[in-house]
Amino acid sequence: MTITRRIVLAGSAGALAMPNVVRAQGETFRVGALNPVTGAGSPYGSGMQRMIGAAVEAINAAGGANGRRIELFSEDSQTSPQAAVLAAKKLIEVNRVRAILGTWSSGVSLAVMPLTNDADILLMHTSGAPALSTPPVNAKSLGFRFQATNDRFGRAFAEIAAREGFRRPATMAFNNASGIGNTDGFRRAWAAKGNQNGEHVVYEPNQPSYRAELLRVLNTRPDVIVMGSFLPDTTIILREWFQTGTPMKWIIPGWAANPQLVQALGPAVTQGIIAVESVSNEGAPAFAAFDAAHRRAMGNQPGTANAYAAMTWDMANTLALAIEQAKSFETAAINAAIRQVANPPGEAVATFAEGKAAIAAGRKVNYEGASSVLDFDQFGDVTPDFGAYFIEQGQFNRRYVVKI
Amino acid sequence: MEAYLVAIAIIAAIYVLLTLGLTLQYGLTGLVNFGHVGFFAIGAYASALISMQGMPLVVSFVCAAAIAALAAYPIGLVALRLRDDYFAVVTLGFSETVRLAITSEKWLTNGVQGIPGVPKAFAGMGIGMAGAVATLAAIALACGVAALMLRRITRSPFGRVIEAIRDNEDALRALGKDPARFKIQVLALGSALAGVAGAFYAHYITYLSPDQFIPLVTFYVWMAMIMGGVGRVSGAVVGALLLMLFLEGTRFLRDVAPDLISAVDMASVRLGAVGLALVLFTLFRPQGLMGDYTRR
Repeated sequence: MTITRRIVLAGSAGALAMPNVVRAQGETFRVGALNPVTGAGSPYGSGMQRMIGAAVEAINAAGGANGRRIELFSEDSQTSPQAAVLAAKKLIEVNRVRAILGTWSSGVSLAVMPLTNDADILLMHTSGAPALSTPPVNAKSLGFRFQATNDRFGRAFAEIAAREGFRRPATMAFNNASGIGNTDGFRRAWAAKGNQNGEHVVYEPNQPSYRAELLRVLNTRPDVIVMGSFLPDTTIILREWFQTGTPMKWIIPGWAANPQLVQALGPAVTQGIIAVESVSNEGAPAFAAFDAAHRRAMGNQPGTANAYAAMTWDMANTLALAIEQAKSFETAAINAAIRQVANPPGEAVATFAEGKAAIAAGRKVNYEGASSVLDFDQFGDVTPDFGAYFIEQGQFNRRYVVKI
Repeated sequence: MEAYLVAIAIIAAIYVLLTLGLTLQYGLTGLVNFGHVGFFAIGAYASALISMQGMPLVVSFVCAAAIAALAAYPIGLVALRLRDDYFAVVTLGFSETVRLAITSEKWLTNGVQGIPGVPKAFAGMGIGMAGAVATLAAIALACGVAALMLRRITRSPFGRVIEAIRDNEDALRALGKDPARFKIQVLALGSALAGVAGAFYAHYITYLSPDQFIPLVTFYVWMAMIMGGVGRVSGAVVGALLLMLFLEGTRFLRDVAPDLISAVDMASVRLGAVGLALVLFTLFRPQGLMGDYTRR
């Protein structure tokens, strides 16, 4: 018995002491990728992580940032704050990374940001929670959000609903911070316009059917239903709605109303749905580069399939450009340079290599990303414009753009 | 590296506290509690909310333990009528109810948005290692006290009665003992430990949201207890540490063999490896590491 215990203790100590990967190398800039490869974010996580890797490869192929190669350390957040905290600790303490890229859910970002603040390093994330913009969470202004806040999405929904002349909007929300953030943002903005809000239904995740929730909303006879939803639940809800035969208009965030939704339901069901998405730079050179890399890494899937992967691609490029611009590897200098390389004015650049050349030539650059034009406000948030995409015969037609 | 080890140690110690609570309830008394995470959540939210009202952490910790113990009382009443799998279903339902209540009562818990900025324990000692080490010391002390308490209980008349409840409740009743009181006390005590664990968790992670308190946490605790050896106080400690070793140690698989597999695939392989290790462990060590080999 004693022997077993000793063996176990020795084994544990040995296993913990083994991964001594801290090497005193000066020549690389260490970056951590902390993405939801497993758990609720898994539909996006592997793409996000692979795109950080692809961007880093491209950056290193272009000679690295400020003369140093970027060395990438990847971890899985498991979409769980507790696992993410330990993974972030490992990245910070063992791998000595100088920035963490690509945390996805708000719960994870909110738990990780205190750690990155303590370590005085950057955190670039794709979460929607408003608390991530301001102190106490973003007390050091080291957090950058590559996704529009849920509240901004909600405001864009309200603009579009008003423009389309709707009078009695109802809302349905997936019960998490993101889903409710969207509909709350919408209801606030809608009320601020002097309008009446309709029925509001919050539904639980992972149900095989949402008929009860749907009927509750339909019974109030709204003229449009505004969703704070994700792809799997939206698919079920729209299918069940179509079976009822009730005519209805829908306003749905673009990560739920995407080509996969049309593929799953067909053009008849999705006809006339308004998908709202931050105007990603589709058609822009940065998006073309991202799309090509995404197809290479993800078995020929188009880049439009994963909006978050476009954001993580932009994260790596923005970070590398900021290092190049700052001519420094210090967090404060890089932090200050991020807005210089991402915001106007400046020469629009689409890739790191282009930006590097322009910076070397002494020109001010403005990185126009694959996910959006990427201009950061004083809170480190992007304020993209939002496109209203009408689904017509299975095609997404952008009718107009709203600014908020 | 040290700070990372301290972080793992803190989380491991939180699991030790949780496992000690479950050892008392299941290992010693035979109450199949599948809702342990519910009491963990109650403790975490109670301590966070009370401390954010400006109360000192000592007060909030005591309240966390007390509120979690109180919440166990109605479950205790249910336990008088239900045994084994029926009780398991009720407790599982209870923990999900707690999670849904936290999700819905926005005025108190801020719902799914969660509570950011929970005060850190020992914040006065600065943000570096000192505060983390002090936290670790405090939680290790709590674990030590809890383990000693459990050891005392197992050797006391109280301990013999609850073990008798586990082994043969009808015989105990025939001898004129009333199991009801003991069951409620055991549930309250085990839940108080979970509550304290929750308080440590809240003040260490500093951000709470309902999706942190899913049933998976309960089953991690069960795994820890089973690996360590059901009904053994030392087993609870060793099992929780072993669980952490599996969960965190696998992060370094790729550092050992970096070229075999890509980082993205590694994440999934890692969880697979954790599962395989657990399965093999229970296959070859069914009594657990510190198990009781005198009994069959």
